Amino acid sequence: MDRLLLLLPTTTYRTQDFLEAAGRLGVDIVCASDEPSTFEAHAPDNLLTLDFADPDGAAARVATLAARRPFSAVVGVDDLTAVAAAAIAERLGLRSSATAAVAAARDKFQMRQCLAAAGVPIPRYRRLALKDDPFLAARGVEFPCVLKPLALSASRGVIRANNIDQFMAAFRRIGALLARDDVEVSGDAAQFLLAEAYVPGVEVALEGLLMGGALHTLALFDKPDPLEGPYFEETIYITPSRLPADVQRSIEAVAAAACAALGLSEGPVHAELRVNDDGPWVLEVAARSIGGLCSRTLRFGTGMTLEEIILRHALGWPIASLVRERRPAGVMMIPIPRAGRLAAVQGQDAAATVPGVEEVAITAHVGQELVPLPEGWQYLGFIFARADSPEAVEAALRDAHARLVFSIAAV
Amino acid sequence: MSDDLKSRVQELIDTMINPAVAGHGGFVELIDVQDNRVYLQMGGGCQGCGAADITLKAGIERLIKEELPEVAEVLDTTDHSAGSNPYYQAGKA
Repeated sequence: MDRLLLLLPTTTYRTQDFLEAAGRLGVDIVCASDEPSTFEAHAPDNLLTLDFADPDGAAARVATLAARRPFSAVVGVDDLTAVAAAAIAERLGLRSSATAAVAAARDKFQMRQCLAAAGVPIPRYRRLALKDDPFLAARGVEFPCVLKPLALSASRGVIRANNIDQFMAAFRRIGALLARDDVEVSGDAAQFLLAEAYVPGVEVALEGLLMGGALHTLALFDKPDPLEGPYFEETIYITPSRLPADVQRSIEAVAAAACAALGLSEGPVHAELRVNDDGPWVLEVAARSIGGLCSRTLRFGTGMTLEEIILRHALGWPIASLVRERRPAGVMMIPIPRAGRLAAVQGQDAAATVPGVEEVAITAHVGQELVPLPEGWQYLGFIFARADSPEAVEAALRDAHARLVFSIAAV
Repeated sequence: MSDDLKSRVQELIDTMINPAVAGHGGFVELIDVQDNRVYLQMGGGCQGCGAADITLKAGIERLIKEELPEVAEVLDTTDHSAGSNPYYQAGKA
């Protein structure tokens, strides 16, 4: 029986979908997390604790275990685990992109250096030291610009600045964010931030799978809500894209060039791009699959999930089809409207009855402290819909969202 | 037969599973056993926890199947969105 190592942080939304996919494949599952499981002593062969921030240490630990019982594949489920998964795979000779390539994709500055060197279209960028005076750091920066941490995900800490005052405020706010107890960054990611030109245009997300260096597009998502700042909260993703076919092809070509520039060759990628009259611009390329519960919008072939495709690829198993079902689908990541404590949620039944809506998953719990962007990194939940057209999917998501009432009390 | 299996599952929960998850303020309740499928609910720190699925599949289900090989599957019926004090909180990454 094939033995699969899944890297599952305690804070990821992705655990259930990956474990269910692995269960369907019938493989022997070993779960590694960043904190000890209450059952680790009962099942030491199937539960282990790894420091994902120490990829070499994680690889050495797993190599010791593999000497006794080999692994067939290792899969990291998100940004926090991508580099460690690559390091483990490289150490064990398993299918993965090179660790250096995955690490470059994890660092927004390194990523931009690689992409710029290869001529991939990206916004003008500069790395700035957080220890510097923000007024002096702003010299040479053109406005509007976007400031962002080097290593956080989900638009956390991403702030637009239209002038020097906004720049200094954003600079200090990101510095304070990186010092928070719930932010785990180290090295350059703790000492620098990135300032890059704001690129006007529509934004899309490309979900892909790299196989032998070739990028296979699994889905291209439109993001119909404008992302113009000052914060960049992602809400609605809808596939297939409504952009013209030639524009979609150019997006895929630029995303493929970005993967090649980084040296990524195997496994899932999630790329964010802006598109305007000058063509596609790469904002991010991550060596992981789509975050949150959003993968539930995707089905392939005869109903295969994204997670099953990722696991089959890692295991070297056949994949019947990489073609997404034809029916348009979408997800709304329900944003946190303001800071406070979640007191009550109403309207879930009404939201679930909207035609086209498949699921309303409220993931925040009553009593939870809610932190909006740019400091926050969570959502109130997710709404999923399928319909005959992308327009109908979008309408269903907005209708369902309008029926939900979140009572948020002051902290 | 099912009642007998149910009582043996309950004994496992009482003697091995709940003492383990209590370390994170959690507990597990047996809801039913039907057709060799065990239906559970998780509470306390397990309800809504970001690691609840790991606990269930790699911990609880594995332990139950090892001790009671006739069990085909362990299913979680918990409303995790109603958890008020999860030990770990999930987020988008």
